[in-house]
Amino acid sequence: MNPSETVERRLLAVAMLGLIGMVCSFTVHGPARFWANFLLWFLFLLTVALGSLFVVSLEHLVGARWSVPIRRIPERISGLVVPLVPAALLALFSLPVLYPWARPGAVLAPIVAAKSAWLNVPFFAFRVVVCFALWLVSYRVLVGSSLEQDSSRDPALTLRLRRFAPVFAIFFGLTVTVVAFDWISSLEPEWYSDILGVYLFAGAFLAGLAATVLGVAYLIGQGRLPGVRPDHLYNLGAFLFAFTVFWSYIAFAQYLIMWYGNLPEEVYWYKHRVHGPWQTVTLILAIAHFLVPFLALIPRGSKGDLKTLCRVVGLVLGAHLLDLYWLIFPVLGAVPLLSWPELSFAMFFLGYALLWARRAMARGEDMPVGDPFLAEGLAFHL
Amino acid sequence: MSDPVHAVVGLFETPRALLEAIARLRPRGLGRLEAYTPYPVHGIDQALGLRRSPLPGMVLVMGIVGTVTAFAFQYWISAVDYPLITGGKPATSWQAFVPIMFEVMVLFATFTAGLGMLLLLNRLPELDHPLLGSSSMSAITRDRLALAVESEGDGLDVAAAQRALTEAGAVAVEVVARPPGPYTVSIAAAAVAALVAGVAVVAAGLGTWVAVKAFPALPPMVHMLEQPRLSAQGGSGFFEDGRAARLPVPGTVARGRLPHPFTRQEEASVLGNPLARTGPVLALGRRVYGERCLVCHGSLGDGKALLSAAYGAKPANLHTAAARALPDGQIYHVIVAGKNSMPPYVRELSQDERWAAVHYVRALQRAQNAEARDF
Amino acid sequence: MATTTTSLPPELVPEPLSTGPVTAGSLDDQVLAFPDRPPPLKWFVALAFTLGCFAVGALLIVYTICTGIGVWGNNRPVFWGFDIINFVFWIGIGHAGTLISAILFLFRARWRNAIARFAEAMTIFAVMCAGIFPLIHVGRPWLAFWLFPYPNQRGIWPNFRSPLMWDVFAVNTYFSVSLMFWYLGLVPDLASLRDRTRPGFRKVIYAILSLGWRGSATHWLHFEKAYLLLAGLATGLVLSVHSVVSFDFAVSLVPGWHMTIFPPYFVTGAIFAGFAMVVIVLVVVRESMDLGNLITLRHLDLMNKVILGTSCLMGYSYLMEAFTAWYSMNPFLHHTFRQYVAGTYWWAGWICIGCNILAPQLFWVPKWRRSYPVMLFVALAVTVGMWFERFVIIVISLSQDYLPSSWHVYWPTPVDFGILLGSFGLFFSLVLLFARVLPIIATTEVKAALQGAQPGHEGVAS
Repeated sequence: MNPSETVERRLLAVAMLGLIGMVCSFTVHGPARFWANFLLWFLFLLTVALGSLFVVSLEHLVGARWSVPIRRIPERISGLVVPLVPAALLALFSLPVLYPWARPGAVLAPIVAAKSAWLNVPFFAFRVVVCFALWLVSYRVLVGSSLEQDSSRDPALTLRLRRFAPVFAIFFGLTVTVVAFDWISSLEPEWYSDILGVYLFAGAFLAGLAATVLGVAYLIGQGRLPGVRPDHLYNLGAFLFAFTVFWSYIAFAQYLIMWYGNLPEEVYWYKHRVHGPWQTVTLILAIAHFLVPFLALIPRGSKGDLKTLCRVVGLVLGAHLLDLYWLIFPVLGAVPLLSWPELSFAMFFLGYALLWARRAMARGEDMPVGDPFLAEGLAFHL
Repeated sequence: MSDPVHAVVGLFETPRALLEAIARLRPRGLGRLEAYTPYPVHGIDQALGLRRSPLPGMVLVMGIVGTVTAFAFQYWISAVDYPLITGGKPATSWQAFVPIMFEVMVLFATFTAGLGMLLLLNRLPELDHPLLGSSSMSAITRDRLALAVESEGDGLDVAAAQRALTEAGAVAVEVVARPPGPYTVSIAAAAVAALVAGVAVVAAGLGTWVAVKAFPALPPMVHMLEQPRLSAQGGSGFFEDGRAARLPVPGTVARGRLPHPFTRQEEASVLGNPLARTGPVLALGRRVYGERCLVCHGSLGDGKALLSAAYGAKPANLHTAAARALPDGQIYHVIVAGKNSMPPYVRELSQDERWAAVHYVRALQRAQNAEARDF
Repeated sequence: MATTTTSLPPELVPEPLSTGPVTAGSLDDQVLAFPDRPPPLKWFVALAFTLGCFAVGALLIVYTICTGIGVWGNNRPVFWGFDIINFVFWIGIGHAGTLISAILFLFRARWRNAIARFAEAMTIFAVMCAGIFPLIHVGRPWLAFWLFPYPNQRGIWPNFRSPLMWDVFAVNTYFSVSLMFWYLGLVPDLASLRDRTRPGFRKVIYAILSLGWRGSATHWLHFEKAYLLLAGLATGLVLSVHSVVSFDFAVSLVPGWHMTIFPPYFVTGAIFAGFAMVVIVLVVVRESMDLGNLITLRHLDLMNKVILGTSCLMGYSYLMEAFTAWYSMNPFLHHTFRQYVAGTYWWAGWICIGCNILAPQLFWVPKWRRSYPVMLFVALAVTVGMWFERFVIIVISLSQDYLPSSWHVYWPTPVDFGILLGSFGLFFSLVLLFARVLPIIATTEVKAALQGAQPGHEGVAS
């Protein structure tokens, strides 16, 4: 048995163990906790996939050259959006459990009942379907054309990608906003914040970047990205830094405006997050999502250093997960839940995702060899 | 005798030629090598072996200093020195301090970066550098790149440096003398500039002085003062009697404002306090005292208060034996008619308010001279 | 690169950033010669016109100060009228300059080099125009120093929990930092000017301003580091300044103001309006000063792409605002948003949508991104539209808020329009003066990006 198979077997074992834990948690703790965990991991993997897809499209949008040699990594990660389709359909079962407006027979506050034109199950499901359809089509175009170029070497495909990128950017922005409003904001349906789409976008882009860095490190470790130098990593690090600041800016702006306005229908959302048992989580989130990555990425040396970058992106991914946890879990109660059910979900989804990522990373060329700008990208200097 | 040589400068046409020349001359140790370019050429710092700029560290430190300063400043002002509650927010609400912390951080950091670079690291302004007067300078700031072999203290082998530069491919070589030389800006020109600036400052000052003296009280906006309204003591064509204010109806007295019949303080001794010493009365007295009396007589009634500290006035101490011995009526009279610098409060306070204040003054006196049975 | 690009479709071949032969020397002769030559007659005519506009505004400001701000249209409850609209508008115009000089610098978008200097100068002039309005808005500008926290005999301090105080800090920092950034970049160019100017008064001025810059490798080492740091800090600053301006509105409870999307939305709008203004000025400069070889149609094309992109972001913001207003189920928000498009000032709302969202969509057509009439039309539309956006936000939201008994319609007076005209006069007067006395293109930056200027990086395009 070769070592690669050992790793796969171990990952599979971890995932299976997690699956057993998940089933147990459903029977022991009931559906609410199960579906909250499911939603957490579904959104985490979805944002990683979408963030990676946006990393890909950004290169085409601005016509960047430096990122061509590493483009294949986010392209592969964004493929995660395909196996997430069944997860999304499954996640629809969480609606009557977690979402007050979808609870059958529930007596809704008038203000929530008035939103029923938007917050109703059929329309919600329809939006999920439309969003996924758009993402799958975009994935097909953005990644499919790139893979096609590997063999055909046709520069016209690059042109097609560049033309498609702005269109994608528009409905990417809209669909991510729909995700934020539907899956996250409507957990507490009285609450509203029109920045939430941007907030989730910033988190997703960070997660996509972080996953890209991990993928790059994985391939570099295997010597499969010859020619990728610290200069390329530096740019990734700079983007991580910039979007860490951007996320913090958006997060703080939303908090400041609601804190200052102190309107009951808005500020209650923060009240049970910033005070009481959730306060610790909020503090950890601020430290892990902003303070530590911000300070760690300030020195010039750390942006181009693979080891430092890997540590930072590990933290960034963890912080993004914590961010989603902080967004979702307060609906379960006043105390943050963290015990074996959460661990089982982590084992299953991480095990599965890593297994999937290993296979994805093994397929096809490691660099977009047909891209006319690959040579220029490899020659990139700061 | 000719002036001592500052440097031998060789001009090059392309950056590549310059980099190659640096590589050739650096091991020879002819003198301190310095390159001059019209724009930053990347890689030249490694070729010359320059140390990395310490600027980022300086900026980081000053950025942190700025953030901490801004926080401490706002916290001290808003929570310690002048704790004014606005918008129902706690005095220590750090959230509201963040924007200014960020701005001050940027301010400190950018000025460290800019001025630190110009003044500290590059030692500018330096208007009398020998090279500024050389003929190479105008080529350097245009499109030529220069390599200078600069003298380190005393010995500079000019001939060897010239030869080395020529061999390295310099298209022109110039020997730049140390001062006195043909400066771009002579001391005289700088002096003239300083004189002009000085004259301008003096003229501006004089002009301001004259303007202030000549137009001393030109109120730019007097509409608050000169409103279309009637003054209490002014005239008006509206009423038959030509007065702005109306007189009370003859034979009537306003409620709560019975006339005070006495003119001398002693005569008022006959008055007794008509109000019972109840909680609401004392509360009213406390409010009246706080609004009208406290600024001068002090919160304790000892005559030590804001105004006495600021202006050296000497309001009465209400705890002297004489003051305590005064009958209620006399204190009431002083409130009505005033005493020494104290103005009359007959218009501001109603009868009940005055008597309540008397009660409160009594309470203050009692508080400062408590007897055993009060405990 | 010739080997890889020959087979590319023409759309993928990067256009050069300058046309015709441009060398370091020819660049200086072209750009730095303007201060040497007497300006043409049309320049004097233009300056006379803009100064005339400025004079109108200045006189009306004096009139306002001597009379009181009752001469404006401001009323109760519309306490903020043209004064604050113009303030936000001008601050926004300034943001494009910082974006071009700092953010595009960090992204290593080299096309910024040729236009950065002009855009930075416009930033400074725009912030100067903006600064006038809060000053006269306070009514008694000679007491404006009360805004600064200094120990005083009154024993009181400003309120740091007020976003208006944040504004004081943000705008002052922004102006100081922009000035520093601009001057720093000017120093090497001023040295070039110094060395090519004949001895005389002007040479002395340039010599003093260039501080004795001599372009040594040590100078450049620290200079580049400082410039990079300043660019990074200015990027944060430009986000923060308009965010702080947006907090003036967003932290209040006025319906239509209290929106969480305001900070990024204001920043986007600022960049959007600023780029439009830069395009207008660049087109005029390019034509009247014969700079077509340095400021190419590619520059304008890229600028127009940014305008298109920010326009889409504005569209997103409008959409989110409208959706959230509905979704909030807050009757006051519902009312305000109906007022935006169907109230007393319905036309202002539609001017916003038409000028800011619809007009820039013309730029999807590549040919129109390069056509003067189209880009001038769009840029002017955006300038008007963005001014009206602030009108919509300020006037419509204020004129009808929670208490119907205090609703009041706002109409500006001729004085309002005159002061607005004056601010435009001041802005363009400064632009005209700048164009004749200082290096209008950052020659050192363009030189550093010319073919063959960086032997260490040869063969790398970006």
